[in-house]
Amino acid sequence: MNTLIVEDNKELALEMADYLRKERFVCEVVHTGGEASELIAVNQYDFLLLDLGLPDYDGFDLITEAKKEGSEAAIIIITARGDVADKVKGLDLGADDYLSKPFALVELLSRMHAVARRKFKMDTNVILFGGFEMDVNARVVRFSGGDVDVTRKQFDLLQYLVMNRNRSLSRIQLYEHIWRNTLDDQYDSNFIDVHIKNLRKKMAEYGPVDWLVTVRGVGYKAVF
Amino acid sequence: MRLQHKLALANLLFKIAFMGLFLAVTPWLSERVNLYQTDNVLIEKREEVIDLISELGVEPFLVGESQDFFASYNILKEEFISLEQVDLDEDWNFIEVTPRSIDDEVIEYRVLNYSLLIDGEMYLLEIGKSLSSISVTEQNIRRLTIAFLLLFLIVSVVFELIYTGALLEPFKRIIIKIRSTAEPSSYDPSPVLTSTRDFQMLDRTLSQLMKKINTSLQKEREITQNISHELLTPISLLRNRLENILVGDHVDEELVIKVNESLTTLHRLKTLVNSLLLISRIESSQYLRTDSVQIHELINEVVDELLPMADDAGVVIIQDYSRDLYFEKANRSLLFSLFYNVVNNALKHTPRGGEIWIFGDRKKRQCFVEITDSGEGIPPDLLPDIFMRFKKRNDADDGGSGIGLAIAKSVADFHHIKVEVFSEPGKGTRFVFSWKL
Repeated sequence: MNTLIVEDNKELALEMADYLRKERFVCEVVHTGGEASELIAVNQYDFLLLDLGLPDYDGFDLITEAKKEGSEAAIIIITARGDVADKVKGLDLGADDYLSKPFALVELLSRMHAVARRKFKMDTNVILFGGFEMDVNARVVRFSGGDVDVTRKQFDLLQYLVMNRNRSLSRIQLYEHIWRNTLDDQYDSNFIDVHIKNLRKKMAEYGPVDWLVTVRGVGYKAVF
Repeated sequence: MRLQHKLALANLLFKIAFMGLFLAVTPWLSERVNLYQTDNVLIEKREEVIDLISELGVEPFLVGESQDFFASYNILKEEFISLEQVDLDEDWNFIEVTPRSIDDEVIEYRVLNYSLLIDGEMYLLEIGKSLSSISVTEQNIRRLTIAFLLLFLIVSVVFELIYTGALLEPFKRIIIKIRSTAEPSSYDPSPVLTSTRDFQMLDRTLSQLMKKINTSLQKEREITQNISHELLTPISLLRNRLENILVGDHVDEELVIKVNESLTTLHRLKTLVNSLLLISRIESSQYLRTDSVQIHELINEVVDELLPMADDAGVVIIQDYSRDLYFEKANRSLLFSLFYNVVNNALKHTPRGGEIWIFGDRKKRQCFVEITDSGEGIPPDLLPDIFMRFKKRNDADDGGSGIGLAIAKSVADFHHIKVEVFSEPGKGTRFVFSWKL
């Protein structure tokens, strides 16, 4: 997957590229809008990770340019401004998603996967784990044919864990993913523990939940 | 009481007091003046009579049936003069008020008594002037005076009210301007037209002060927002770098824990920066108020969100709304944040087995929501500070930033929602939110 990272903070751009390369993305990194504009005109990208706060360019213009060039790239806006108006404007111009700094790399990755699923009809939409079956599109969990009654929050939590299988997710990463829409995050480490506890209890009524592992000092992971 | 009415009242009271004194003193004073003038007239008359007697002798006076008595009145009996031969041991020369009956009529006279020796004989000369004629004029004058004074009183009060009203009009406008200013930024800087220097100065000084306050507030907000932005990128970098450390294979478990602790600290820093950014954005009105919100539904959502935590903590949340509560022109996300923070705060401070009561009601156009917990309560000395940023109970070790209630307060202010807090240590805390529809 070809990815162009447009981020004026060089170190941050490298950290992002570093992470994505490990996830087998092909990454190019530029630090100015000018360079980005040239590359967008010449190359075809699958992903465009775009920081709005560029020193030489209005980030929104790059979206417009990319669309004009007929780029098929999925565009994810990244900004430290955290302004709702920016988000709306970016999405209106054709961006696919929006991330506020500071974000978790795993969140970036999962957003990219989500956009890819939507946009390129990739990835399987049904995931099997420990006898359970998750239908991502229908937002249901089944066990041997019958629906497992989980709440919306529990489903989001489970989906995030399952989609990042074998990867430890910290409580903060889980919290941010699930409560991403609240204005202020009054994070409480207890929140995730309570939801995981309830989720385990609920799933245990149907089948074994040994695939949902507590990682000491970190958080949780789904192993299957 | 308004300044204008106070001025008019003070003036009125002063005038009434002064007039009262004047009316109380004038009878006595005018009587004095009258007597003095009457006495002077009587003495003049006496001199005339003495001149006549010394010129003509007593014989021309003492004629008629009585040889030793003479009396003469004018037609209206206002004055009389009498000469009489008497036996006196001493000389008489005094003036007194005595009643005299003349033709079955008793009249008060001011009478000059003067003894004089003529040809070895003692005579008493009496010259009298009736007082009734004087008192009638005096009464008329007094009536006129009272009427005039009353008229003066009414006219002067009306004049004063109109004049001070006009005079204080610019002052009134300045007051209205201040009262309609909820935020220094909304102060109307256009000068109030007035020729009174004091008001010009007041108006100018207020405008300048408001401008200063506004500028410094704006600066503070800009600084907060800039700092926040500048902080978010390095936080982002640190975070991703730490996350990348964890991605590698064969990472030592102790290292994983340490790095995760650092990430938690970093997250706290992020929350803090974002909260400050949020408050500063609310205070500089960067949010729109375009939603019409059903408050009971909104709080229901908040409670739904917090219910798993409440169940886990063994705290019961009870909701009771007597009527539909709504808020026109609101920002739904901000209001959600407000009630979320308050209910979450109550939850954190309520021990197992406790209760949180959420009660909403509407009386005519006045809505209110009460959120009461059965928690440990807030000591009275901390109560005034609970909405201050970073102030939290000394013993509160909940990992919170102490900024949740500050956010709640700024959201409430942004919506002109009045917030009151009542607390009794050991019994619980009650937050009351009220607003007018």
